[in-house]
Amino acid sequence: MSLRDAPPLATLERWMQTVVMHPDGAEPGVRSAAARRLLPRTAKDLGSVVLPSKALSSVERLDIYAHMYYARLLEVLENEYPTTRRILGDDVFRRACRAYVHRHPSRHRTLNSLSEKLPAFLARHLPRGNRSGLAVDVARIERAMEDVFDAPRAEPLTAAGFAAIGTEEWGRVRLRVNPALKFLKLCYPANAYMNAVRGKGKARVPRPRTTTVIVFRRDFTVFRRDQEPEQFRLLQALAAGRTLAQAVRGSVARRRGSADELAATLGAWFRQWAADRVFCQ
Amino acid sequence: MTLLPNRWKLSDLGLGVGLRTQHFRHITEHWPAMDWFEILSENFIDTEGRPLWYLDQIAERYPIVMHGVSLSVGSTDPIDFGFLDRLATLAKRVKARWLGDHICWTGVAGLNGHDLYPVPYTEEGLRHMIQRVRAIQDYLERPLVLENPSTYLTFASSSMPEEEFIARLAVEADCALLLDVNNVYVTCRNHDLDPLAYLDAIPYEHVVQVHLAGHTDNGTHCIDTHDGRVIDAVWELYARVQEKTGGRATLLEWDAKLPKFAVLQEEVGKAAKFRRDLRVAARRAAA
Repeated sequence: MSLRDAPPLATLERWMQTVVMHPDGAEPGVRSAAARRLLPRTAKDLGSVVLPSKALSSVERLDIYAHMYYARLLEVLENEYPTTRRILGDDVFRRACRAYVHRHPSRHRTLNSLSEKLPAFLARHLPRGNRSGLAVDVARIERAMEDVFDAPRAEPLTAAGFAAIGTEEWGRVRLRVNPALKFLKLCYPANAYMNAVRGKGKARVPRPRTTTVIVFRRDFTVFRRDQEPEQFRLLQALAAGRTLAQAVRGSVARRRGSADELAATLGAWFRQWAADRVFCQ
Repeated sequence: MTLLPNRWKLSDLGLGVGLRTQHFRHITEHWPAMDWFEILSENFIDTEGRPLWYLDQIAERYPIVMHGVSLSVGSTDPIDFGFLDRLATLAKRVKARWLGDHICWTGVAGLNGHDLYPVPYTEEGLRHMIQRVRAIQDYLERPLVLENPSTYLTFASSSMPEEEFIARLAVEADCALLLDVNNVYVTCRNHDLDPLAYLDAIPYEHVVQVHLAGHTDNGTHCIDTHDGRVIDAVWELYARVQEKTGGRATLLEWDAKLPKFAVLQEEVGKAAKFRRDLRVAARRAAA
């Protein structure tokens, strides 16, 4: 190649990226319209861009990068979504992830955000059915676990902090919810399913049933916990900045039972939340 | 045998290993003998969770060096100054002795392939990279320590060998080098080059650190997999570099099929022999 024929650096980089990110590998990548708009080459005249080695053709050398691109990113997704993968099976999961990486390539310097759209992608592209529905909900939990793992830190509200709130202030108080906490309203009992898989090593695909789950970090460990619907709404209202009185009125007003029973229920919820360090300073 | 100091007089930190998640607990429970640790910068810049909590403790006791994979110095996309700010913040937090990345690009058009793609070794590529390295160094107000990557292809437009490109980049951009002797071996195998000639072309006053690692030999080509022990041929290249420099901070990278920490200690400990031999030779020469 003469220097006059050498493609500009920007063109060469865009071409190589187009080729190695092609979902079917380097050879289809070279033939793709997107690559040919940048550098009109075929596998036969590829040597004018990428030299062959003694052992490998030009396209085989490009294919090393194409293979590594998907292998590396699929490995990340497999590590982040072990239960989703288990539900779908290796083949379906890998095909879905490959399609996802092609549709949503990384735009970040780190890999933390790579899978942020995977649950929604699975919801759109998996065939309908209980197994797929459960997989989507489990994927939402597994993604929330990733988010919570890396979320900002906050000092938890201690028992002394709670005690310092005067009785007369309780109605007006606004409690701050841990930033490392996610709310999930799901179509399946996905958290119970994950617990069963973890405990017994296997579980049946359950029937659809609305469940509410919080995923949170305590002492740098991520936890998942099912919540009653009113409990979930109450915590959401507190997280939205409502006073305790407003939050209670908006979430448990229609709950059946006596005032004493309601007080006992609220007491139990708050004790659990305090133990989980759900509130922060 | 005399010590050839690096341009910036950055310390020879001794022998270190890459800090990996699987070893966090072992390190913070046993505080094992290790001169220093290298971190993968990107694993710590977008988190306030457990990895950073461990790193804070480890940085209190060991020198830390930051080594990244997403700076994309060779890319034709604009420089991401926000990313540089995040690197600088982490460097301050862990009191990083130095920070660096690779002589490569990782993506264009806003994408990141999370791989180390080779640049064409052309005058245009060199000018582009020199200008970017200077801009990044000016912004960070510290030298950038750039590593020679393992490469698996050669662009037909390349007009100079990789080692000449690297040497000119180091001198003209006035940046530091991290010489990965396993990458030298892998690249030379993949491109039918002589690794000793490669090493002879390196400006050693710019080299502040050396990497050691294992790789996978597929027969037709080698892949830099960081999944095993260092082979003898790479140890020979390491010995040559130590001879040329009089000793440089040395780090073992082991990322896949990660063994117990004691195996890493044993493997990187092999480098001590070359460094001892070097000191003995220096004393003899002085006598």
